[in-house]
Amino acid sequence: MTREAVESIEDAVKGIIVAELRVDRSQLGPTTHLMKDLGADSLDALNIALRLEERFRIKIPDDAIPKFLTVGDIIHGVNEHLAVQ
Amino acid sequence: MRRVAVTGIGVIAPTGVGRECVWAALVDGKSGISRIENFDTSNLKTNIAGVCRDFNPEKHFDERELSRLDRVSQLAIAATEMATREAGLTNGQLDSYDAGVYLGTGFGGQGSIEEFCSAFFVNGKGRRSAIAIPKSMYNASSSNISIRFKTRGPNITVTTACSSGANAIGQASHLIRHGHAERMIAGGVDAPITPVVMDAWKEMRVLSTKNEPPERACKPFSANRDGFVLAEGAGIVVLEDFETAASRGAHIYAEVIGYGSTADASHITFPDPDGEAHAMTRALKDAGVKPEEIDYINAHGTATKLNDASETEAIKRVFGSRAYEIPVSSIKSMLGHSMGAAGAIEFIATVLAIENQVIPPTINYEEADPQCDLDYVTEGSRQAARSTPLRTAISNSFGFGGNNAVLVLRAPVQ
Repeated sequence: MTREAVESIEDAVKGIIVAELRVDRSQLGPTTHLMKDLGADSLDALNIALRLEERFRIKIPDDAIPKFLTVGDIIHGVNEHLAVQ
Repeated sequence: MRRVAVTGIGVIAPTGVGRECVWAALVDGKSGISRIENFDTSNLKTNIAGVCRDFNPEKHFDERELSRLDRVSQLAIAATEMATREAGLTNGQLDSYDAGVYLGTGFGGQGSIEEFCSAFFVNGKGRRSAIAIPKSMYNASSSNISIRFKTRGPNITVTTACSSGANAIGQASHLIRHGHAERMIAGGVDAPITPVVMDAWKEMRVLSTKNEPPERACKPFSANRDGFVLAEGAGIVVLEDFETAASRGAHIYAEVIGYGSTADASHITFPDPDGEAHAMTRALKDAGVKPEEIDYINAHGTATKLNDASETEAIKRVFGSRAYEIPVSSIKSMLGHSMGAAGAIEFIATVLAIENQVIPPTINYEEADPQCDLDYVTEGSRQAARSTPLRTAISNSFGFGGNNAVLVLRAPVQ
C-alpha cells in the first residue's frame, strides 16, 4: 500500500470517529482509547464498526469489534481486513 | 393509606416552555397551533399541528446526547428537569429505590422509528444503527429519565393512547398511596408530528382540516367542529407522600385524591359513554367524594364529532341535572391533542386552575350543538367566585382502544 493510501485510511477512520463521537479531531492520537478517553460505549463501537464497513466495503466480524479499543487498533484492524480482501 | 401531593410541575406545550408561560397562555385563551414547516404536507389535507416551537433541545443537551435521544426523550427529560427543580428535590431524594418514574406515551420514539425504517426500506440495508432500538423503544423516555435523575424505584411506561399520561399519574399516585414509593416522577410525553403519523390520521378522517387560520381550527363542543389537531408536548409532575412533602416544607400545589380507569370493551375507536361514565364514578369513589363536590371538569374534549358528544353524555350520566352547573372546558382547543402527553398536561392545567382559582376556557366555540349542551366556559377564562371556590376537580382522558382514565384533584388541606 502506498503512503498516500495509508494516510487516507487513517484520515477516513478518524473522520468516522469524529462524526460518531462528536469529538475534536485533535483529540485523536494512535493510543487514544475510545471508552476511557473519549467516553464511547458499546453502542458507539457498534456504530463505528458499521460506518467502517460501509466506508471500506469490508465485513468486520463480531469478535473483532471488542478489540477496537484505541484509534490505532481501529486503523490497524481496517488495514488487516483490507489486506485479506 | 397515605395522601399524595403534587410538588413539582414541568410542562412543554405548543404555547411555551414551563409552567408560568403555559399557564399564562391558557388563561389568555391563546392557541399554540401553527403551520407544519419541517416536512412536506402537500399530500395531506391538514397542514397544521401543535408544534412546540419554543422548545430548543440544544439548550438542554449536547450534540452527542441529541444523537442518542429521540425528540420524545428530549421533551421528557427537559420537563422532568423543570419539575424536579421546582419541587426542590436534591439528588439524594431522587437517587433512591423509593423514587420512581411512571410515564405515558402513545407513540414513543416514532420519529426515530420512521427514520430507521426509511433507511431500511429505501436503502435496503438492514443494519443501519446500533442506536435504533434504544432510541425508539417505547420505554426509552422513562428509562432516560431514571438514568439522568438516578431514580431506582419502579420505572414503568404505560401506553393507552390518549389516556396514557392520565393513567401514568393515576398509577403513580396509587404506588405512593400504598407505600410502594415515596415519590414519583409521573406524566406523559409524545412527539408524534411526523409524515407517517399525519398521513395515517388523515386516512382515519379525524383531523381537523380547517387549516386557515391554524389557531381557530380546533373547536371542541362546537357544532362546526371537524376533528382534533395533532400536537406534541410533555407534562411531568412530581408526586410525593403528602406528609413527607409537608414536613420538608415543599410547596404543595394540589392533592391527587382519586383515580378511575376503565375499558369500554366495545370498539377499538368508537367511544362508549358508559365506559367513560364509569371511569368518572370509579374515580369519585376512589377519592371518597360525591358528584356534587366537583367544581370543575377538565374535559378530554378533542373536537371530534364522536368524542365531544359521548363525553357530554357521560358527564350527564354521572352528574345528572347538576352537569349543567359544572364548568367543563377543553384546553385542547388551544394546545391541540398531544396524545400520550395530553392527559398529563391537562392534569397540570387542572392543578393550576385550583392553585390560581381560574378556569381556562374552551376557545373557538362558534355554534351550539344540541348534543353538547353543557357550560363549556366559552367566553374566556373564568375566575372562581369567592363564594364558590374551586376546591375539587376532575380531569378526563379517553383513549382509542376504549381506555378511559379520570383523575380527581383537591386543593391541598394540611
